[in-house]
Amino acid sequence: MVVGEIASSVDLLVIGGGPGGYAAALHGARLGRQVTLVERNSLGGVCLNVGCIPSKALIEVADAVAFPGRVAGWGVSATTSLDMAAVREHLTGIVADLTGGVERLLDRAGVTVLHGEARFSRPNRVAVEHGATVEHLEFRHVVVATGSRPIGLPDLPLDGGRVVGSADLLFADVLPDELVLVGGGYVGVELGCAFAKLGSRVTIVEAEDRVLPGFDDRIGRSVTRGLRRLGVGLCCGHKALGIEDDGLRVTGPGGEAVLPADTVAVVVGRRPNSDTVGIAVTGASVDEHGLVMVDPQRRATDTVFAIGDLTAGPALAHKATAEAEVAVDAACDRPNAFDPTCVPMVVFGDPQVMTVGLSEAEVRATGLDAYAHRFPFSASGRAHTLGDTEGFVTVVADGVGTVLGIQAVGSHVAELAGEAALAVETAATVEDVAGTIHAHPTLGEAIAEAAQGLAGRPLHSD
Amino acid sequence: MSFLFRLPDIGEGLEEAEIVEWLVAPGDVVSRDQALVEVLTDKASSELPSPVAGTVIRLGAAEGDRLTVGEVLIELDDGSEPAEPTDAPDWSTADVVPAPKPTDVVEPGGGVPGRVKAAPSTRKLARDLDVDLNALTGSGPGGRIAAEDVRAASAPAGTAADSADHARPAGDLGRMSPGRHPLRGVRGVVARNMARSWSEVPHIHSMDEIDASMLVDFRRRLRGMDRPGASSVTPLTIAAAAAARALRLFPMVNACIEGSPGESIIVHGSVNLGIAVSTDSGLVVPVVRDADLLDLFDLAGAIADLASRGRDGTLTAADLAGGTFTITNYGSLGGRWATPLIVPGQAAILGLGAIADRPLVVDGEVVARPTLPIVLGADHRLIDGDLSSAFRRAITEDLLEPLRLLVGG
Repeated sequence: MVVGEIASSVDLLVIGGGPGGYAAALHGARLGRQVTLVERNSLGGVCLNVGCIPSKALIEVADAVAFPGRVAGWGVSATTSLDMAAVREHLTGIVADLTGGVERLLDRAGVTVLHGEARFSRPNRVAVEHGATVEHLEFRHVVVATGSRPIGLPDLPLDGGRVVGSADLLFADVLPDELVLVGGGYVGVELGCAFAKLGSRVTIVEAEDRVLPGFDDRIGRSVTRGLRRLGVGLCCGHKALGIEDDGLRVTGPGGEAVLPADTVAVVVGRRPNSDTVGIAVTGASVDEHGLVMVDPQRRATDTVFAIGDLTAGPALAHKATAEAEVAVDAACDRPNAFDPTCVPMVVFGDPQVMTVGLSEAEVRATGLDAYAHRFPFSASGRAHTLGDTEGFVTVVADGVGTVLGIQAVGSHVAELAGEAALAVETAATVEDVAGTIHAHPTLGEAIAEAAQGLAGRPLHSD
Repeated sequence: MSFLFRLPDIGEGLEEAEIVEWLVAPGDVVSRDQALVEVLTDKASSELPSPVAGTVIRLGAAEGDRLTVGEVLIELDDGSEPAEPTDAPDWSTADVVPAPKPTDVVEPGGGVPGRVKAAPSTRKLARDLDVDLNALTGSGPGGRIAAEDVRAASAPAGTAADSADHARPAGDLGRMSPGRHPLRGVRGVVARNMARSWSEVPHIHSMDEIDASMLVDFRRRLRGMDRPGASSVTPLTIAAAAAARALRLFPMVNACIEGSPGESIIVHGSVNLGIAVSTDSGLVVPVVRDADLLDLFDLAGAIADLASRGRDGTLTAADLAGGTFTITNYGSLGGRWATPLIVPGQAAILGLGAIADRPLVVDGEVVARPTLPIVLGADHRLIDGDLSSAFRRAITEDLLEPLRLLVGG
């Protein structure tokens, strides 16, 4: 590489080393492209470093802490104790293992990894800043996978101490006594459940009238019950006004109040990093939310592709990974298109949530008839043995029996997302699902039971 | 703003269409659903209605031109505000770099918007074969699109090599004015398909003459029954039922070789019988879908319906696509033997001669009996003599004793 004004040539450039970017780099290398990947922090992106992975690790820690309570009626007595510094080390270790794995995969594939911050300087060129040095790269194709960043609240600037983002909270050395989470989306729900189990007094502030506002009503109610059971305070229909000595001032229909807080975590959503990389320089169109306009091949211009949180749709790692393959295929003139029927979503609260495809209400909103059957976990043998019968599985179908959606709430239901997505994505019919023998006793039986109910022959439900 | 109406896949399996006649001209004000153009696809002509109301800006092709599905047919000004800046379309390259749009999900083809009822593997096949799934209705449960549907949709209606000139010869059989005529329309399609069959497929023909006494009697008694379709039962119906059953017994005959030179054998999942029908403008082959699942009366009704619509010229493109085996009743024009050519995309064809009293040896005596000559034409790349004979024998046995068709086995 030449440093200075002269640009070195790159065949396939990938900006961002998260679940979209590293998958794009690996796929490009597999197709014989010379790939250079630029990452400004650590490989693995938000997901591996400060998002999905460490949060799930912390949730497992929280479940371990809550274990004595869960097994109290089983003839087992146990006590637990918590060492937050050791927890942090545990999380860091998992992250290091996984990011190390990504690094080895890229290395083995022959991908050149550059560390630095990339910005487009011309439609076919980026400048990569690393400390005081700047390197110019001229690319044949580029896959932009720079992800997103948390949205801040103007009245509640992060100070790295009392007001933090989710990443700081995950790796906190000290367990907050009074934790207020601003934002009742999936991050707020997951962290709320985890910190309540770890021992914090938790309150969630949500502007809408319930948590998980994007989800079906019945799911929202079930999760609300779960949060209450853990003692999480819910302050829905309220907005945060600002931090005060006593805590967080909020306002709602009943007036203003101050919620006691030694830590306030702002988890209200994310914004695409299309501006920081300056993608507009390439001629790509960016909408008012910062989303890059792309075609089904994820093409923003002839040579620029954008994937992951930069494009419309849920900002989820698995969506980015799927788009990566499409974009690289398109850059290599291989027919492909990002045209999924569903992008599954999971929430690791207590209970967990899994949604795939359309809910009954969403089908009706399209003007079509919807047919749904809900199977409660109270009728599942496996749920009883796990000691948690909260929740249900709903299978939704159209008038000719094609499965359009599967939703579930309950213990461990995130693990059912694979089967549910397979059914929806392959246009399985209710009979296909009902006629597939499911192993007993497993939670997955609930999907078959719901389908059997929809087929008019319920076994353990009515 | 301008609305680009692209040639839709108006039936299963059609890649291109010929512009027969424009019903509107630039400057015309059209209403939604008003017929814009008559197009001819794989021997069926249809009128395409306008999806929007507006003013015709320009036509995308001239009469006689052939367009591929997805190419711009017509540009209309629908009066709406422009949603985003669009470059002046260059008609030759309009498809090359689509202006990226925020709505990145494929357009709906019915049902839930954005939802295509096809597994990812099927969608990949469709991309590889360049088939638009949005316009397909699947044959699977709940309308699920199967790989077979995609392959059927990509089966060539004519080869890409043919250029613009095709004629619709008019009028009485054999009459045509002296001079040079463009080869197009139904005649053009027949010409291309037959040339392809003749040059690509090594045919073998095997023949048999069947004692049709019981067949004639069986048909007479069926026609006497008080059932819908009963009056339409013909020897062709019974032969079609026998062929459908034989195709179930020998799936390798319900198949084809795909690719040139032959790269793979495609065994069709359903039995779709093409029935050759003579029309004023030429020979067409409408298709009875899942013929093996129909009873004799339903089959008779379906064949009669296709034949009458073929003569009326009201067959749709979908009626003509997806055949897996063809029957030609050349005997309806008289004649004992013929060597019919296999329809491209299929492996065999059954020909039926005329039933007539002919001398037959029965128990050592020459007697006059009604006999039915049958001919099986088979693709020798796929079908050896032993399979050809076994398949023909299965049909012969059912025609000798048609009660077998009612009892199975």
